[in-house]
Parts: sequence; C-alpha cells; structure tokens
Amino acid sequence: MTNGDTTGNAAQPLLASRGLVKAHGRTEALRGASVELRAGEILAVTGASGSGKSTLLHCLAGIVRPDAGSVTYAGRRLEELPEKRLSELRRTDFGVVFQFGQLIPELTALDNVALPLMLAGAGRVEARARAGEWLERFGVRGQEELRPGAMSGGQAQRASLARALVTGPKVVFADEPTGALDSLSAEQVMTALAHTARESGTAVLLVTHDAQVAAYADREVRLRDGAVAPLGVTA
Amino acid sequence: MSTRHILLGLLASGPSHGYDLKRRHDERFPQARPLAYGQVYTTLQRLVRDGLAEVDGTASDGGPERTAYRPTEAGARELARWAGEIAPPAPFVTNEIFTKVVVSILTGGDAGTYLLAQRTAHMERMRELTAVKTAPGTDLTTVLSADYALNHLDADLRWMATTAARLTTLTAEVRTA
Amino acid sequence: MSTVVSDVRLARQLVRGSDRREWWRLALTAAGAALATGFALAAVALASVPSGFTVSVFHGLASQPGTRSGVIAGLLLVLVPVLAFLGQCTRIGAVHRDRRLAALRLAGATPWQVRRIAALETGLACLVGSAVATVFSVLLLLRLWNGPTALTWAGIALVAVGVPVLGAAAGALALRRVVASPLGWVRRVAPRTGRGPGTLFLCGLVLLAAVAPLAMSSGHSAGDRVHWQGPLTVFSLVVALGAGAVWLAGATARFTGRLLAERAGTAAPLLAAERLRDDPYAPARTHAAVLVVTVAGTAFLCIRHAMLTELRTREWHLGADMAYYTTGLDLTAAAVLVALAITLCGLAVGTAESLTTRRRALAAQVAAGVPRTVLNRALLLETALPLAPALLLAGVGGMAVGTWYSSLTGDGSLPWTALLVAPAVYGSCLLAAATALPLLGRSVRPGELRYV
Repeated sequence: MTNGDTTGNAAQPLLASRGLVKAHGRTEALRGASVELRAGEILAVTGASGSGKSTLLHCLAGIVRPDAGSVTYAGRRLEELPEKRLSELRRTDFGVVFQFGQLIPELTALDNVALPLMLAGAGRVEARARAGEWLERFGVRGQEELRPGAMSGGQAQRASLARALVTGPKVVFADEPTGALDSLSAEQVMTALAHTARESGTAVLLVTHDAQVAAYADREVRLRDGAVAPLGVTA
Repeated sequence: MSTRHILLGLLASGPSHGYDLKRRHDERFPQARPLAYGQVYTTLQRLVRDGLAEVDGTASDGGPERTAYRPTEAGARELARWAGEIAPPAPFVTNEIFTKVVVSILTGGDAGTYLLAQRTAHMERMRELTAVKTAPGTDLTTVLSADYALNHLDADLRWMATTAARLTTLTAEVRTA
Repeated sequence: MSTVVSDVRLARQLVRGSDRREWWRLALTAAGAALATGFALAAVALASVPSGFTVSVFHGLASQPGTRSGVIAGLLLVLVPVLAFLGQCTRIGAVHRDRRLAALRLAGATPWQVRRIAALETGLACLVGSAVATVFSVLLLLRLWNGPTALTWAGIALVAVGVPVLGAAAGALALRRVVASPLGWVRRVAPRTGRGPGTLFLCGLVLLAAVAPLAMSSGHSAGDRVHWQGPLTVFSLVVALGAGAVWLAGATARFTGRLLAERAGTAAPLLAAERLRDDPYAPARTHAAVLVVTVAGTAFLCIRHAMLTELRTREWHLGADMAYYTTGLDLTAAAVLVALAITLCGLAVGTAESLTTRRRALAAQVAAGVPRTVLNRALLLETALPLAPALLLAGVGGMAVGTWYSSLTGDGSLPWTALLVAPAVYGSCLLAAATALPLLGRSVRPGELRYV
C-alpha cells in the first residue's frame, strides 16, 4: 500500500464533513458542523429537536447540498459531483432508513427490498430471491407478500433495513429509525441493524434523540444549534 | 432488598449448600453485585436461628465437608409474604447527581461541566450494557437485567438534560435561598 | 343563520391561510364551473327557443327543431368531460384539505359543521365561476336574441344557481370518510371496488331502455316542440356512458396492473403496475372522459364521412345550401375538440395531483437513490399502460358506431382517418401527462423528508 492511497487507509475517515452550513429559509440548521465517520463504525448523532441532526445526515448522504463547507466520501468531494452521480452513489454505496416512508406503499415487502437490486440491473427473479434472504435474515417471515400498510411498524422497519442493506452499501444512514416503534420493536430493529453492520463492516450514521438507541453506537457526536457540541471529559 | 429473601428463594427449589447458593445467585442475577461467600454463610446461620431454614444434612463427596440447608414451613410462608409485597416506590429521593449539582452551585463550581462529564460517563456505561445484551447467545436474564439498568441510566440522562437546560434558574434559586 | 355566518367566516379564514395548492384547486374549480355553466346555459337557451323562431347563427342550424335538439344533445354530451374535469379539480390538495378538516373535527367541530365548511368552500368557488359565465352568457344572448322568453330566464337562473349547489353537494359528499372519522389524517382509504360506477352504468342502461322507445315513438307523432323524453334519453345516455366509461377505465387499469405486476422485469413498469393494481379507480374519472372523447371522435369521423358522401351524391337535388349541413358537422367537430382539450387538462391536473399527494414518498425514493428517470418513466407508464387497451376498445367501439351508421345511410365506406383518432388521443394523453414531469423535479425536495 502506498502513502498516496487514501481511500483504503484505516486512519483516514470514510466520510467526513468540514464546516457545514445549511439554512432552511431564515433558520440556520447547520452552522459549521464537522463530523468524521470511519469505515465500519457506528456513529450516533444526538441532540435536541431542531439541533440540525437530520440536516447533517441529509448533507452527508448527498441528499442535500450544503450552503457552505464540504463533504468528502472515500476521497471524493460530494459537492463537486453532479446530481446524477450523487443519485448513483446513494444507490450503490449508501443505504437510507428513515422513521417512515422509504417503503413504497404499493409494493410488497419483497418487491420493496428487491427494488434497489433491480435498479442496479438484476433481473426480477434473482432480485426477489436475494431480497427474500435478506428479509429472512431480519426476521420478516411469512409477510414477504404483504404491503407495508398491512405490516406492523416493527416488521415494516425491518423490511426497510433489509432494503437499505441489500445492495451491500458502505454506509447506512439511519434517521430516527425507531422513532415510530415501541421499545421492544425498537430493540429488535436496532439489534438487527447493529449486528448486520458489524458483520458486514458497514458504517452506520445513526441520527437519534434517544440515548438507548444511541447506545448501540461505538461513538457519539452531539449537536447543539447546528454545530458539534463538546462531550464531557470524564476524569 | 434482603439477602435473606434471595437465599430463601434459591433454597425453595431444593436443598443447597453455601457455595452452591453463591454460584447460583451470581448466575441468576448477572450484572448485580456478586455475593460474598462470608455473607452467604452468616445469612444462612441467621435463617436457622430465626427458624426460617434448617440443616438438611452434611456431605463431603470426597472434598471438604459441606452443610446443605432447606427452608422450613415458616420460611416458605415468609418468602411468599415477601414476594407478594409491593416494593415501596421511591420512598426517599436519593439522587447523588442532584446533590452534586447543588453542592457545585453552592461552592461556586461549574455544574454544567460536571453534568456533561456525568452524561458522557452514563453514555459509556450504556454502550457497555448494550454490547453485553446484544452479544450473540446472551440469555434473557442478562438481557432483562441490562435493560433495567439501561432504562434507569436513560432516565438519569433525561433528567440531566432538562437540569442542564435550567441551570441558570437553579443557580439563581440556590444562591438566593 | 348565525352558524352559517360563522361557518362562512371560518371557511374564509381557512382558505386565506392555505397554501398555493389550495388556490390552484379553487381557481381550477371555478374555471370548471364556468365551463359547465357556459355549456349548460347554451343548451338551456336553445331549448327555450319557441318553435318557428329563426336563430340567425350557424346558418340557421338551430332554427330547425330537429337539428336544434341535436345541438342541445351535443352540448349536454360535452358536459361529461367538463364534469370529469371539475371532479378532478376538486381533488387537488384534497389530502391537505381533508387533514385540515379532520383537525377541525378533533377541535370539536360537529360533522355537519365540517360538511358545511367544505361545501361552502367548493360551492363558493363554483359560484364565482358560474357567476362569471352567466354574466358573459347573458350579455352574448342579449346581443343575439332580443326577446328571450320567461322560460329562458328561468332556465338561466336554474343553471346559475344549480352549478354551485351541485358543486357544494359534491364537496360535502367527497368528505364522507373524513367526517366519519375525525382521525382522518391517518386514514388509509380502502381501494375502490368499482362497484359504484358499475351500478350506475346498469341504472343508466335500464333508464335508457325504458325511455328510449318512448322518445322514438313520440319523435314521429309530435310536432316541433322539444319533448321531455328527448332530454331524458340524452340524460340517461350520458349517465350510462359516463359510468360505463369510468367502469371500463377502472377495469382495464386493474387488468393491466395485475397482468404486468407479475411480469414486470424492471423497476419502472413494476412501480406503475403495482400502483394501478392498488387503486385502479384513482385515475378512472379522467381516463373515462378520454374514452368517451375517443368513441365520440372516431364515430364522428365515420358519420361525417358517410354524410358528406351522401350529400355529394345528392348535391344537385338538394335545394338547401351545403353550408347548412357542413356547419353542423364543423360545430360537432369543434365540440369534440373542446371536449378533448378539457379532458387533457383534466389528465394533466390529475397527474400533477397524484405527484403532489405522494411527494413525501417520492422524496424518500429520490433520497434512497432511485433515479428520477425511473420515477418519470413509472409516472408516464401509469397513464400509458391502462389507456392502451382502454383506447383500443374505445376505438373499436367508435368504429362500430360509425360502421353501423354508414351501413344505414350510405355506401358503407369508412374513412381511414377514423383509425387515427385513438392513437392521436393516446399520444396527446402521454404529452399531457408529461407536462407534470417538471413538477416531479420540483416537488421531490429533501425538505419533504423533514418532519416525517
């Protein structure tokens, strides 16, 4: 390995932001947030409501372009990529799990999970077979042919995890993935996410306001007023 | 919570000797403070004295001589009474963190920094407990006891967050009083 | 009375505080109401013309009672796509309106109060449209005809008031689900079964079967007055045709959805097919109008061809000028084109509406990296897939009518242009749906992902 190769270097973060600024209308959601995510690590982003957690996730995932600052993923500057390339990156290298809404209501759970594979060029039969394996892995059994509206929140969210992970992404972005779940379902979803991520070496950026969810992470970054707030120093 | 009742409870499933009781306790209640052997021994003596347990017999099995105990009729009754009794819900509020915050304000210290550090320590412990409970093959007993601690730590964290947000008002109140 | 006043005030406050989508709904509702009023007024005015009175416009076409009732029937038929358009317009931003009214219910409003507010909102928009149309129609009427009868005035008043009243009633009716449950904002509307239009279709057929023989028989004996049987036949024909078209559109959508959902190999057809299968009756109203226009257009071209051939062969026998007949044909052609234009507007509005309603889900898809081209394609396929078989059927139906007419009157030849109607309508429908695509780009903003 040469020194010039930065993408595979363990010391180099996989995804990093420097001085991100983003305003929604007149309110500044981010005011210079700098965060680093290393390959294979689970990082929790915590903070009060309105501290800019979701906006940070959107910027890091290339969903939103920041007003100022930069995002670097595997040596590439996201702000320099055109929308088409960003979309492709989100499809191939990233996975997203939101609180709600990433499953298409008209598709069955199986087709929902198969969709990213089909978009990557896999045939329907093959995509559905692989999607079935992932659903089974996340404990969604006997509900493959149900539509999200007919599933319980926990089952639907596990199907969402399967959808986010089915393409073997490098980073999964999870925005309050357990926000709509009871604590037992939340525990099952988080355990499934943490296990799979550690097993496959997928990095996870976990946005949450719930300390019990943040405890699944290896590390925590706390946001306050759109910037990273210091963590306390334990003597 | 009394060691007497825990030992009586463990004896209810069959006669046991002291070392066996200690081992079973530590197994059954992981994450709890482990019982000291001396404490098991003295507690068993007291149970016999109060007529709640009696000596079942002694055996040596080739090793050192061991005395096995079993609960008496009175012991079984006492155990049933205790198990059905409601645990008093927080009769006294003993909150070390709050006390430290107030003392810190009174002595002109930095309560905010203290709360942040405490928060970090809490989070660290929560990550540990989460790792324990999500490790593959963990039994339900361990998961439930870890959950208990996690929920309490979470409650502390929430309390600390609201307290940190109201430190200015609290400082004014404590200093004028 | 004071409750109505307070309801009006509340409705006004709600409208004033609402966003752009709601203004679109109100504006388009008013436009649709104006169109409906205009056509209905023309029909009423013509119907009230006393016998023997010469109407100077259109080469005296409206002077003859026979052709006049034909024109009236044509005007009433044009009302079908107009009403479909109006129905589509009232759905714009309906999800938000439903949520808002559900919030009103939660805040303690009674079901009737909510219904009144919704009815007022739609009714007032319709009133504006109908008032504008009425004023202009009356001005035009007075220029053309200096002696309108009392019957004309009564008819005009009836239409001017009737359109907003019907609009208000439809607005209240559309709310029945929200009113039933104040938690309407979490509701998941059960897919429509299609039984409603099916039943209506049968009712219309029964009515038609009952009335048509009467109209036929009285047509011979009666003099030159327009009888009640005629309009009633037209009315039942309109009901049967409209409901039948809705049912056909829904059924083909369901059929293609089912067929393709199993077989789709790539993402876009899968998305489109599953959406069709999930709720085949959602686009059925606009698609129904497309079908009616296609049948009418195809049949019209055949009939026109037959009539012109016949006219040309008998030209030297005929005393009346050719223009008398060709004006009638041109007028009908114009009516069909107007109907097509209105229908295409309705289709574009419907596509835009389906996008804005789903914009949060679409934003999530884009965030997950689903390419916009796939979403665009799925959106177009949603229109293209069900319309292909439905338009094929409509084209065949129109040709059947045309062949029948041609075999009755003339040499039985058919114009090849009639075959082009269905493909032309198909193409213009896709273009109309494509006008909504830029909206997809605009409505799919990551901002929609917040507050989920």
